[in-house]
Amino acid sequence: MGLTRRDFLKTSIAASTAATVGMPLSKTAEAAVKQAEAGWQWDKAVCRFCGTGCGIMVATQGGKIVATKGDPDAPVNRGLNCVKGYFLGKIMYGADRLTQPLLRMTNGKFDKKGKFVPVSWDQALDVMVEKFMAAYKEKGPHGVAIFGSGQWTVPEGYVGAKLWKAGFRSNNIDPNARHCMASAVAAFMQTFGIDEPAGNYDDIETTDTAVLWGANMAEMHPILWSRITNRRLTHKDMVVVNLSTYGNMSSDIADIEIVFRPSGDLAIQNYIAREIVKRNAVNWDFVHKHAVFATGPYDIGYGFRPAKADQFNSAKEMEVVKNEQAHVIDKWEAIAQRKQEGEVVKQSNILGAKPAADWAISFEDFAKALEPYDLDFVTAVAKGNPDEADAEFKAKLQKLADLYCDPKRKVVSYWTMGFNQHQRGTWVNEQCYMNHLLLGKQSMPGNGAFSLTGQPSACGTAREVGTFSHRLPADMVVNVKKHRDTAEKVWKLPANTLNPAIGSHYVKIMRDLEDGTVKWAMVQVNNPWQNTSNLNHWIKAAREMDNFIVCCDAYPTVSAKVADLVLPAAMIYEKWGFYGNAERRTQCWRQQVPPPGQAKGDLWILLEMAKRIKLKDVWGEQKVPGLKEAGFEDGKLPSVLDEAMKMGYKADMSLYEALFATPDNKQSYKWPDAVAKGHANHIAETLKDGWFPEKAMFEEYRKFGSGHGHDLAPFDVYYRDDVRGLKWPVVEKEGKWTETRWRFNEDYDPYVKKGAGIEFYGNNGKSMVVGDLDKPGDGSKKVDISGKAKIYFRPYASPVEQPDKEFNLWLCTGRVLEHWHSGSMTRRVPELHRAVPAAVCWMHPKDAESRGLKRNDLIWVESRRGKVKVRVETGGRNRVPRGLVYVPWFDEGVLINKVTLDSTCPISKETDFKKCSVKVYKA
Amino acid sequence: MNLSGILVVSKPERMAEVVTSLAALQGIEVHQSDPASGRIIVVQEAVDIHAELEAIKRIKVLPHVIMAEMVYHYIAEDEKEYEALPPELEAAGEACSIPKDLQE
Repeated sequence: MGLTRRDFLKTSIAASTAATVGMPLSKTAEAAVKQAEAGWQWDKAVCRFCGTGCGIMVATQGGKIVATKGDPDAPVNRGLNCVKGYFLGKIMYGADRLTQPLLRMTNGKFDKKGKFVPVSWDQALDVMVEKFMAAYKEKGPHGVAIFGSGQWTVPEGYVGAKLWKAGFRSNNIDPNARHCMASAVAAFMQTFGIDEPAGNYDDIETTDTAVLWGANMAEMHPILWSRITNRRLTHKDMVVVNLSTYGNMSSDIADIEIVFRPSGDLAIQNYIAREIVKRNAVNWDFVHKHAVFATGPYDIGYGFRPAKADQFNSAKEMEVVKNEQAHVIDKWEAIAQRKQEGEVVKQSNILGAKPAADWAISFEDFAKALEPYDLDFVTAVAKGNPDEADAEFKAKLQKLADLYCDPKRKVVSYWTMGFNQHQRGTWVNEQCYMNHLLLGKQSMPGNGAFSLTGQPSACGTAREVGTFSHRLPADMVVNVKKHRDTAEKVWKLPANTLNPAIGSHYVKIMRDLEDGTVKWAMVQVNNPWQNTSNLNHWIKAAREMDNFIVCCDAYPTVSAKVADLVLPAAMIYEKWGFYGNAERRTQCWRQQVPPPGQAKGDLWILLEMAKRIKLKDVWGEQKVPGLKEAGFEDGKLPSVLDEAMKMGYKADMSLYEALFATPDNKQSYKWPDAVAKGHANHIAETLKDGWFPEKAMFEEYRKFGSGHGHDLAPFDVYYRDDVRGLKWPVVEKEGKWTETRWRFNEDYDPYVKKGAGIEFYGNNGKSMVVGDLDKPGDGSKKVDISGKAKIYFRPYASPVEQPDKEFNLWLCTGRVLEHWHSGSMTRRVPELHRAVPAAVCWMHPKDAESRGLKRNDLIWVESRRGKVKVRVETGGRNRVPRGLVYVPWFDEGVLINKVTLDSTCPISKETDFKKCSVKVYKA
Repeated sequence: MNLSGILVVSKPERMAEVVTSLAALQGIEVHQSDPASGRIIVVQEAVDIHAELEAIKRIKVLPHVIMAEMVYHYIAEDEKEYEALPPELEAAGEACSIPKDLQE
C-alpha cells in the first residue's frame, strides 16, 4: 500500500472518527470519507464480547469486513469502542478457523480413540444423531445434555431450549452463564420475584457515588468505565469506591480502595446495614410500603456432589469436601452466626429447593442478627491486606458507610463476578439489595443496586429465554404446573409433554458425564473443558468414559480437542441475531458476510438435528430417574403420542416439521424479507424451505413475555434504522413502541399501579410464612408480600477451603482486558496475542521473595486438585496483597481450572472461581 | 497495518498543551480539534497491537486528558488459506485417550 493511499486513509479515518462523535467536518474531509468509503456498505450491529452491549457499525465490501466503528447513535457507547471491539472484524480470520466437520475415525468409521478426519455434514449429523438416539434409548431424556451459552443469539437459545424441552423432553440444558450470572438471577428472583436490574446505564450520569463490589470495570467493562471516569471528572460530588480482593486498574481513579479477604464482603455488607440501623438512616417510609424482612437457613452446604463424593474424589480432595458433610464452625462464624466455635453443624439443607427456603422475620430480629457486625469484628474478618493498619481499614469502612447513609447522596452499587462466583453468591447479591432497600435507594435514577453481566446475551438469551436446567421463557420454571401449562400452550404441545424434573446444571452435567448418567453432550458457543473448575476430572470423563461429545465452534478449543465430533460454527456477523445486554436492552444485527468454507450457524445445526429425529422417537413413554411430581408416575414421562395424533401431529413427523418449520411459520415468516435490505441469510438459504427461522422464532418467543412485564417489540421494529435496541418491557403507547428505563418506578414503568410510586410487582400475589431468626415457625402465620421486595439477613460464612500450612495462599482467577473468556477468539488475533501472550501468576513481591522466586520465574501453582505451570509477575496492573495470587483463565496453555475448586453457591449452583487454596514452588 | 481513530477529551482551557504532547507521541497524528469542547481527533498507526495498547495508555495518562477511547478501526485483511485440520486437533487425535497437552 503506497504512502499516498495510507495518508489518504488516515485523513478519512480522522474525519470518520470526528463525524462519529459529532464534530463538524470540513468539505475536504467529507470528500475524503466519501472517496475512501466508496462501495462500502455500512450497517448497524452489536459487539459480541462483554455484557455492556456496545453498538458497532460494520462496513463490508465484496463479502469482507473492511472497517468497524463505534455507533454514534448507540446510547450505550455513543460512538466509542474498547480494545476488544477493535478486533470484531478480525476474530473471524484466524488461520486455524474450523471450516469443515471433523469426526474421530479409524478405517473410515467412527472410533472414540480415532483421529480427527474431515467428513461431510451429512455424515457428521447422521453419526451424531445415531449416537444421540442410542444414549436417549438407554438413559432417557436426562441421559443427553447440551452446554449452551450467554453468547447464543436469542433465536439460537430459543431453538435450543425448545428442541431440548419440548422436543427431547429433557431439561439437561444449561448455559455457561451458570458460571457468571446464576447468583444474580437467584437473588433477583428471591428478592424481587422477577429477574434483571431495575436501573440502566443512565444511572452513571445521574449518580453521586459508584461503589464497585468485585467488578474490575476498568478492564472488564471499559466503555462503562469511560462513562464513570467522565462523571468522576465532571461532577464535583462524584465519589468512586473500589472493593476487591486485590488492587486493580479500577483503583486508579477510585477515591477509596478497600482490599478485603475472600468472603469478607459478606461481613462488610452487614456492617453497612448495622450502621444504617444504628444511625437511624433507615428510610422507614420506603421500607414500610415496599419491603419485608426475611432470612433463611445457614446450613446449606457448598455445592459439592451430594452423594458418592468419596467414590469420585481423591483423598486430598475429600479433605475439603468433608467440610460440607460435617462443617466445623470457626471462630468468626461463631460470632457471625451466633454459634459456638468448634460446633459441628450437619449441612441439612443442601438438596432440592431447601437451600433457597426463606421466611419473614421482624425488624427486631433483623437488627439483632446484625448486632455482631461491629467495626472491630468486621475488620478482623474482612481486612484483606495484612500490610494495612487496622485503623486505616476501619476509617475506610466508616467512610463507605457515610456514603451509603447520606440521605442526600445518590448511590449505585455495581458488581460482576466477585459477587456472583461466590460460595454464598446469592446471599451476597441479596445483601446489596438489603442496603439499598433499607435506604430507599433503589429503582430511581442514580440510585440502585446494579448487577452487570460478563457475556453479551447472558440476559437476553440465557436468562430471558430461560436456557437453564430449571427455567422456561419469561421467568417461568419447569417444576411449576401452571408454567408448564403456559409453555405447552404456546408451543402447541400435548399436556404433560414437558418434563417437570429439574435437569442437571452446568457442573452437574460434568459430574453426570463422569459417573456415566449422561452419555451424549453437545457444546455450543462456549468452552466447558476450559471454563469449568476442577478440570482434570472432566477431561478424563470426556475421553475415557463411553460417551459422545459434540463441539460446535469456530476454532479448535480445548473442548474441541476432547470432543468426538467437531462442527464448524459461523461467527457473529456471519449470521443474523439478537443479543440482550445488562440493562435489559435487546439489540439486533443482520448477516454481514458469509461464513468461510462449510461453517454454519448454530441455529442451522440445531434445526438439522431436529430434522433427523421423529416424534415417535421422543414423545413415547420415557424414563426419568428421580422424577416425582403430582400427575406423573414416579420416574416416568407418559407417552403423549396419542394426544399428539389428535392434535394433528403424525408419529413419523420430524421435530423440525412439528416444532419449527410448521405450516404457520412457513406461511407467516417468509424468506426473503424486506427487512434484510439486501443482506443474505445463509441459514434460511441453506434450509431452502422458504421461511425465515430467526424471525419466526423471535415472534413466537415474544408471546411468552407479552402482557406481564417482559414485553418485547416486534422483530422488524428492532431492525429499523432509527432504533438502537430497546429496554424491556417495551409496550406500545400511542402507536410507538416505548422502552422502560427504570423498572418498578411509576414515572417510568407502565406496569406500576398509578399512585404506587414504587411497586415491586414481581412478588404480587405471593406470601411468606413468618418465623424467627433460626426457623420458619409452624407455617400457620403468613404475610402477603404483594408489591414488596425482601430485605434478607444473610450471615458471614467462611470459605469451604482456606489457606493452611501446606496450601498456604489464596488463588483468585479472572480475566484481562485484552482477552475475553477462554481466549478462543481473541487469541486468534496475532497482534492481540502478542500483547498478553500467556497468562501469568500475579504475586506479592514479598511472597515471591520468601519462596525464593523472582519475576518471570516458571512456577507450579498446585492445589489439592491439580497443578499448572506459569510465570511469576510481581508488578503490572494487578496489585495483590500478601497471601493471595491471581491467575487469569484465558490461556489454554495455563489451564488454571485444573487447580480451582468445584464448589458452588448452593442456591444458584454457580461455581466460586475466586477462592481456593494453593501452594506455589519453582518448576 | 493497524490504523485507528481515537477521540481524546481534554480540559478545554488546556487543549493546546494536550495537542502538543499528543503530537510528540510516536505513531500519533493529530487531525482535528475543537477548542470549545476540548475534543481532539487523532489517528494512530502502530506495527502491532502491543504498541497500540501502550499508545492508548500513554494518551490516557497525559496531563489534562479526561478520557481517550478508540472509535474507528480500519481492517486490511489478506486472503486467508484455512487449514484442513488445525495442528491442535491433529495432535489431539494422536491415538488418543487424553490429548498430551491436557494430561495431568
